[in-house]
Amino acid sequence: MKDTELAASFAIAQAKKRGRTEVGTDELLLGCLQTISRFGVVQLESWTFDLEELGVDWLDHPEKSEVKVAYSQPAVDLFDRAARIATADGSSAIRVSHLLAAFAVENEGLMGDLKRSYGITNTSWRIAVARSWSARFGKDTSGSPQDGSETSNLVEYLTPEEAAEALSIHVQTLRTYVRSGKLPAVRLAGERAIRIRRTDLEAVMEPLVPET
Amino acid sequence: MACFVVKRDLPGVTPEMLQSAGMRAKTCCSEITNEGRAVRWIRSFYLPETAQTHCYFEAASRDTVEEANKRARIPFTHITEVVEMTPDSV
Repeated sequence: MKDTELAASFAIAQAKKRGRTEVGTDELLLGCLQTISRFGVVQLESWTFDLEELGVDWLDHPEKSEVKVAYSQPAVDLFDRAARIATADGSSAIRVSHLLAAFAVENEGLMGDLKRSYGITNTSWRIAVARSWSARFGKDTSGSPQDGSETSNLVEYLTPEEAAEALSIHVQTLRTYVRSGKLPAVRLAGERAIRIRRTDLEAVMEPLVPET
Repeated sequence: MACFVVKRDLPGVTPEMLQSAGMRAKTCCSEITNEGRAVRWIRSFYLPETAQTHCYFEAASRDTVEEANKRARIPFTHITEVVEMTPDSV
């Protein structure tokens, strides 16, 4: 499942939990933040967003619910804007980074609250999102190491140190993943050094909300 | 599982709007499937001359397909069951 689908799934679950009949932009923003969070916390530039403070129980597994929720028109508009950003970014698919960038012009709801609380501007938000993705996935800002069409400008193989940095984990943890087979790696012919394909990095990722 | 075609008239639609609609359709189908009614968006064709799309879905009923499209907020004009034929099947 792509990061955007994870974000949307979380957004839908949030809308259901809140008893809404529509998925609004607030739920979509929470879905995006949840997708890029670690232990319920998102660090973008100097801003730290705690999902718990935003009213999200990030460890909670949503119960199966048959409440019917549809996307709201503002959510549709946000998806449309994200799609335009994806095109401008040279991406063949809408990624969470594009959805987050699309929030830059939002001044209402949760995004408006965050802007006012943290002094975020349209420009500073887009810079933060772009830098965050550059740090995670090199020059590519799509957040899509699995999309082959977007990897032509990337370094294909990473050292263990580079891969660990990309995943924000200790290099020893990464080596444990490699030894256990959790993360595929290759050895340079005749050398001890190993390399990890950038596209394999998501092999160690699993959604907090289990797929049913 | 039956196959259905969802016909839409989308004058003025852009490639980005189609991409956005596709993502919404995909996520809504996943959600309805998680709820216990399997529905899957198979593929779509855009007809540039008439600005129409023909979108194919797999589901147990027409109602489920209609619900997925309504939840995704993608307008449609007609939903009807289709029978698939391929060169290999004849």
